Amino acid sequence: MLIPHPLLGLRDAQEFTYLGDAALLNRPDGLTAPEAFNDYVYLRDNPAGVHRELWFHEQGDRSWLIVTRNTLTHDILGVELARDVALGAKGAK
Amino acid sequence: MRLQGGLIDRSKTLRFTFDGKSYQGHPGDTLASALLANGVRLMGRSFKYHRPRGPLSAGSEEPNALVELRSGARQEPNTRATVVELFDGLEAASQNRWPSLAFDAMAVNDLLADFLTAGFYYKTFMWPRAFWEKLYEPAIRNAAGLGRLSMEADPDAYDKGFLHCDLLVVGGGAAGLAAALTAARAGASVILADEDHRLGGRLLAESDLLDDQPATTWIADVESEFASLPNLRIMRRTTVWGAFDHGVYGAVERVADHLPTPASAVRQTLWRITARRMILAAGATERHIPFANNDRPGIMLAGAMRAYANRWAASPADRVAVFTNNDDGHHSALDMKAKGVSVAAVIDARPDAKAFGDYRLIAGAHVTSSRGRLGLRSVQVTHDRGREWIDCGALGVAGGWNPNLQLASHQRGRPVWDDTLHAFLPGDLPAGMTVAGAAAGHGSTQAALASGTKAAVEALAALGMTALPATLPRAEDRASGLHPLWHVPGKGRAWVDFQNDVTVKDIRLAHKENMRPVEHLKRWTTLGMATDQGKTSNVTALAVMAELTGQSIAATGTTIFRPPYTPVSLSVLGGGDTGTHFRPRRLTPSHEWARAHGAVFVEVGQWMRAQYFVQPGETHWRQSVDREVLATRKGVGICDVTTLGKIDVQGADAGAFLDRLYANPMASLKVGMVRYGLMLREDGHAYDDGTCARLTEDHFVVTTTTAQAGPVYRHMEFARQCLWPELDVQLISTTDAWAQFSVAGPNARKLLERIVDGFDLSNAAFPFMACASLTVCGGLRARLFRISFSGELAYEIAVPARYGHALIARMIELGADLGVTPYGTEALGVLRIEKGHPAGNELNGQTTAQMLGMGQMVSAKKDAIGAVMSRREGLLAEPRVLVGLLPVNPADPVVAGSHLFTKDAEQRTETDEGWITSAAFSPHIGSAIGLGFLANGRARLGEVITAANPLQGQQIALRVVSAHFVDPEGERLRA
Amino acid sequence: MPEAAVQPLLALTALGGATPRKAVHGVLTLEENPGLALASLALRRGTSRPTPFGIPLPDAGGWTGRDGVSIFWTAPDQWLVAAEARADSDFAATVAAEAPGCSVTEQTDGFAAFEITASTGEAPILSLMAKLVNLDPRRYGPGTATRTGLEHMSVFVIRPAPGRLSVLGMRSAAGSLWHALETAVARIAP
Repeated sequence: MLIPHPLLGLRDAQEFTYLGDAALLNRPDGLTAPEAFNDYVYLRDNPAGVHRELWFHEQGDRSWLIVTRNTLTHDILGVELARDVALGAKGAK
Repeated sequence: MRLQGGLIDRSKTLRFTFDGKSYQGHPGDTLASALLANGVRLMGRSFKYHRPRGPLSAGSEEPNALVELRSGARQEPNTRATVVELFDGLEAASQNRWPSLAFDAMAVNDLLADFLTAGFYYKTFMWPRAFWEKLYEPAIRNAAGLGRLSMEADPDAYDKGFLHCDLLVVGGGAAGLAAALTAARAGASVILADEDHRLGGRLLAESDLLDDQPATTWIADVESEFASLPNLRIMRRTTVWGAFDHGVYGAVERVADHLPTPASAVRQTLWRITARRMILAAGATERHIPFANNDRPGIMLAGAMRAYANRWAASPADRVAVFTNNDDGHHSALDMKAKGVSVAAVIDARPDAKAFGDYRLIAGAHVTSSRGRLGLRSVQVTHDRGREWIDCGALGVAGGWNPNLQLASHQRGRPVWDDTLHAFLPGDLPAGMTVAGAAAGHGSTQAALASGTKAAVEALAALGMTALPATLPRAEDRASGLHPLWHVPGKGRAWVDFQNDVTVKDIRLAHKENMRPVEHLKRWTTLGMATDQGKTSNVTALAVMAELTGQSIAATGTTIFRPPYTPVSLSVLGGGDTGTHFRPRRLTPSHEWARAHGAVFVEVGQWMRAQYFVQPGETHWRQSVDREVLATRKGVGICDVTTLGKIDVQGADAGAFLDRLYANPMASLKVGMVRYGLMLREDGHAYDDGTCARLTEDHFVVTTTTAQAGPVYRHMEFARQCLWPELDVQLISTTDAWAQFSVAGPNARKLLERIVDGFDLSNAAFPFMACASLTVCGGLRARLFRISFSGELAYEIAVPARYGHALIARMIELGADLGVTPYGTEALGVLRIEKGHPAGNELNGQTTAQMLGMGQMVSAKKDAIGAVMSRREGLLAEPRVLVGLLPVNPADPVVAGSHLFTKDAEQRTETDEGWITSAAFSPHIGSAIGLGFLANGRARLGEVITAANPLQGQQIALRVVSAHFVDPEGERLRA
Repeated sequence: MPEAAVQPLLALTALGGATPRKAVHGVLTLEENPGLALASLALRRGTSRPTPFGIPLPDAGGWTGRDGVSIFWTAPDQWLVAAEARADSDFAATVAAEAPGCSVTEQTDGFAAFEITASTGEAPILSLMAKLVNLDPRRYGPGTATRTGLEHMSVFVIRPAPGRLSVLGMRSAAGSLWHALETAVARIAP
């Protein structure tokens, strides 16, 4: 597979380390919402189809990326820097 | 027999042997063509029945003519004689026969054919069960398999590489050449790959003219233009064997397979080609028509017969016949005739067939049997007027052509049946791929050339480039007139899959036993599962099944293909690096020094670390380790700890960031001090530990364990980028930049005083857990941390890595009178077990801060990764905690992994109270000691429990003690 | 204090030698570069981009060099600054002075630096790259630098000029990296 890195263009998937569901970005606050942690840690989606997932450009620029990928066809529909997404989400709060 | 003409170089003679007998051939020959030219038709034995076989094809689809090549360590089984380029001195041997190819004792299987039908493995070797391991499996293994491995290491080098292009053209025949020419002229970067050593594909095997010239003239013109195009890369002897996601293709280039030995070059190169577009121009494979006894040497595909004659000037016999269901078979007959070979008859199944020349045509007839034990002598022809035997040494069978669509199917694209062409065509294509030429059903040369050009224009247009179609030569544009005949009805065994001995009868049996879906048919009969992957058999077999079920072929469906297209050696997939170069090896800065001082090394991940240092007279590792441990506790020891991960953390929010990463507080750490840190996973279990040193207000250096350096860095980047991007934090690994040594023991301070440049090391000025930047040995910048893993007065000193070698040498030199001793990882382990420090065995991903005795460290006043989940009821209820364990009988061993039980309790899972994580012989205590997790351990100090090690039948009485075997009050490390 | 303590310590190259290793194969020369000083430079939040040594910080994938000092992009808001023949100096301190308000980390000994030079221009360098790294040379031509994988090692691949290729890898794996590079260089060389 090739991952279209937002800054570096197409890079081979071998350079990346896979983590999984991008919902991991939505970490609850440990002091104010401890009850939300069980779902955060254990309940994640694993869809057959379009999935937003985290990839780390380990042999590259060490960016965490959010790759929107169809897990059935491996089509990649979009890639964002996780940092931008996380900052956007924090700004929206 | 050898004919006139052909694309062989008669000015040179090559000698070779087959089964020990000497023959001659010429450059340009394959092993198969040279053997046929020498009158040898018998080249192998079939897999199951050991039937005598000759080549069916003249290409990489060959199911029969598999031979062992070369000898000694380079002996290679299952090479296809049809694609082996002849070289001088080539040694080949037949396989799957004993004692000889002409007399094979295992051919007795052929007499048992009624017993060895489809599914016989599944039915026969079921019972009695005990027979499987002892009798059936060894017997089957002995009889199975084709060629033999040399059982020696492969002496050759293999390489790999990466290529990128706009357009990859797979196949260098008419369509591929036209496509590559069109695209390369337009300036696109193009790779043209072909499995053959010579471009031209099927054009080389035909007598048809292009623009009234031999095809080789046009090919030569194209090649000379190719040579002037720097944006085109021609890859001969290169098979594109797999099509992967997003335009990534696997290819193997056989760099030196055609040479006796690769000499200094590599033998094969594995290429990973990334192409924006791909044109599949892989041609087509002819299919045969099963009839009774259709597998004798001399019976081959009609197109292969004319390929041998036209390209290689070889014929399997001086008198041949053709059996066909289409016009193309007639052209094989015409070509053979033109080459001076006598054509006994063309047997055409079509009643209305017409002759294309002066030869005997038997229309509306079938070949119904054959004779000749080790080679064809005659064929039986049956027609409505009766039957006759026709003498011939070879029969060309022409059943139509199947497009080579395998690569189009590697991403689950289903082939689609075409009722006009009577063939499967590529269906849904992977993104970026188009198919051209015979692979797309454009069988005539004219159509193939045109479709190659068109495909290139379209491929480039998709990339935003403009290409002008190449001017094409005039070429043949014949129709095939095919009328399907999938097999000749009748009794007797009619082979469908030659290599795996699957007959029409086997397919009937599969049908009868309801193994009707194609996937079941394949597995029940082993159809298409051999090295040729059914290239000459699959479509025919499912046509036969369709006939049996009464369904159309389209409704019967087809299996799809997986990589590789043709067999790929494990050597080239494994890559060139073997032995110590198999994976990267990381050396510590003191590696050479340690080697020179008797170190025995141990692999720790990629690192090579000194395990212990052998001194003269020491004959057992324990002697070395005990000496190193005692010398460290008595004087001073030095250990290279560079391998611990080091991460530089800077930024205005560095302290706040570390507060969220470590379970215990870090933001409150004072500048110039170090603190132990415990990281948890978000699920509340212990993840990693290390130290955090605060060099300035906004600059920390944290350490990780050696094993987790990479994962912890990734984890920290995750926290920085994904969880708290609003914090001002910068991270970078500095593991390799600094050589770091542990200097431990009561004389550690005295030793360091001799190297620091006037730095005050007194307890008051530089207390336990202090850190500083300083200079040593006359101005060399260094970092000093007063931390201890051994329980002794200890420091870790870091200097730029290039000085590591000199620093340890200097310290050993200056510390002679202080009893200085280098120690390795083994002593390091003993020292930390004696002190009760957890390490990898205790931080194995299943333990919690509470189990480690660090439950109090998890701060409730701040949010940190894992803190919330560590307070889960289930984890808090966990009673097991870290304790020390001492054998009641000092001579008894302590074995890590043993499980702990109350003394005299019944030993069951329910009564299990914990396990031993670490054990060592403690020279300080004078016996073995251990660390382990024990239920309610803290309340059980002094109790004698039982350690059970059922693997070795051991029951050892252990006393529960404090995990701190040495200096429990910590007086030494604060000295 | 004994006299020996003031004798300066002698440095070894990443390959463990007193002098840098060099290998010549045909038109290609492979050389260890122990003199290369390195420091990482990272922007802090809200600070503006400095121009250390007068060199503008290059964008993603970029490399810029002049007068023996070069800078290449390594990650968002992060660069490596390199200087020839200054490994023995406290280069991180120099860079910190050139980039006030940035996070600077000494990296000189974090890497083994290998320089590959072709005497006949770019073609042998491109052939070599094809055997070493899965990078499209059309994107990673002269004036670029990127981290990628090479024989299971993370390396920086730098293209200072058409006929040059620099490879920076983990110092501890210098031996493995040299082996990988020299094997490929020897195979490319005619």
